[in-house]
Amino acid sequence: MEQFFNTYFDFSIMGDYFGDVLQGFWWTLRLSLFGGAFALMWGLILAVLRQLPGRAFAPVRWIVIAYIDCLRGIPLLLTIYLIYGGLGTLQAQGAIPQWLGLPEYFGWPSAFWYGVLALTLTYGAYMAEVYRAGIESVPRGQMEAARSLGMSHGQAMRFVIVPQAVRRVIPPLLNDFIALMKDTSLVSVISLPEAVLVGSDIYSTTFNPSALTLGAIMFLVVTLPLARLVDWQIKKQDEKFQRGMA
Amino acid sequence: MSDTTVETPEIARGEVILKIDQLCKSYGKLDVLRGIDLEIKKGEVICVLGPSGSGKSTMLRCLNLLETPTKGTIELKGDAVFDGSKPKNLDDLRRETGMVFQSFNLFPNMSAKQNVSIAQIRVRGRKKAEADQRAVEELTKVGLAEKVDEYPDRLSGGQQQRVAIARALAMDPEIMLFDEVTSALDPELVKGVLDVMRGLADSGMTMICVTHEIGFAREVADRVIFMDGGYIVEQGPPKDVLDNPKEERTQRFLGLVLDH
Ligand SMILES: Nc1ncnc2c1ncn2[C@@H]1O[C@H](COP(=O)(O)OP(=O)(O)OP(=O)(O)O)[C@@H](O)[C@H]1O
Ligand SMILES: [Mg+2]
Repeated sequence: MEQFFNTYFDFSIMGDYFGDVLQGFWWTLRLSLFGGAFALMWGLILAVLRQLPGRAFAPVRWIVIAYIDCLRGIPLLLTIYLIYGGLGTLQAQGAIPQWLGLPEYFGWPSAFWYGVLALTLTYGAYMAEVYRAGIESVPRGQMEAARSLGMSHGQAMRFVIVPQAVRRVIPPLLNDFIALMKDTSLVSVISLPEAVLVGSDIYSTTFNPSALTLGAIMFLVVTLPLARLVDWQIKKQDEKFQRGMA
Repeated sequence: MSDTTVETPEIARGEVILKIDQLCKSYGKLDVLRGIDLEIKKGEVICVLGPSGSGKSTMLRCLNLLETPTKGTIELKGDAVFDGSKPKNLDDLRRETGMVFQSFNLFPNMSAKQNVSIAQIRVRGRKKAEADQRAVEELTKVGLAEKVDEYPDRLSGGQQQRVAIARALAMDPEIMLFDEVTSALDPELVKGVLDVMRGLADSGMTMICVTHEIGFAREVADRVIFMDGGYIVEQGPPKDVLDNPKEERTQRFLGLVLDH
């Protein structure tokens, strides 16, 4: 027991490296926030495109469905490598502009923005599915009532369907956000010093995993309250349904 | 009024406002409407009766093109809105027709007032203040002056249905379509909704009401239509169709309905 404790919870190591791990975790947070925010928007765009009615929009729907299926079917790790391996090269050959090929907004390294892009592309696809389920859970009569009042499909989506769908998708989207946050650790493979990479670097010099434990604790500080929030949201909605609303 | 939309020409009471010709609708192999001919005059109140599955809702939904008919034509004030293949002037048609549904379909994310004003603002192009004022007027007319700020989940079924009627009327439609609007209501709430519809009929609104309320049809309808199997089987003034039906199918249906 004491050995276990000394291995994983070496307080002197934790103290010495607290600043480094926190700095790594700051990257983790920024990856999560930027990736999460963009994925949230990109997913909604995909979901709305997927719901466009009529034969004229069939090609758009197919492309969106193919995109969603593909990105959900590829490991995020591979997507990260593909972006990292492709964009820089294309930029060097002059095929794409610098802002896309070697982005360094806010003075943050390209690896960070490649990570944000990969997270957005992949989690946008996951979140599009969540939005779709939300949109489809709104009763058909809502769209019909809106259309019968003369609203266009777009107006009905914007004012009637999406506002109702968004409420129902908050818990599953939060779940996806938790998953996204954990997956930011994959961006370490392109040398972004986020919490896990920092922790394992410290491990390889100290031969003690306590810095990694510290990283885990930092993750939990954020993810545990989120998990509670999800539960609370779900419970709130269940109560609403029981009172015959929503 | 600051409506941005162009008004279609006024037509006089008694002139044909909506004309449908050989209207058919199939879902795959299922023929739901098999050739409906109907002329509706301005100011006319039509009640549509018929057994479940006879195509009453489908006919109403084809009239404002919520469903695209398979065949046939629809003319609004002499202009084709459906020419047999695809909708034309869909905006005109939707602007001239209001629809009220069996299941109310109020927007649960909006108060009663917002329910009534949203389409005025977004479709009719009215200013918010003007739309809100009109919403309060319409809600007052249906007896809900006290409920303008309530959300649908805090209203009874009968109140919700009256909001739905106000919502449609605020768009100044020339024709109102009602699809079994009292069927989902508790018996004691039916009268309030029927009273609103009766008042509307008295005010000269053109109305097509799918209903099982024989008493309402007898009292309010200018014409009763009996549908079965995707056809109009019989139509005429209520005293003919309801009291002296010629067709055997009408007799049988009324026998079943009136016994209970
Ligand atoms: N979207 C649809 N897809 C397939 N079949 C449909 C669809 N809508 C209606 N139908 C079928 O069309 C037939 C007529 O339906 P409709 O709703 O018009 O009948 P109704 O006369 O209004 O009946 P009720 O009195 O029960 O409301 C039914 O057999 C129904 O199952
Ligand atoms: Mg019906």
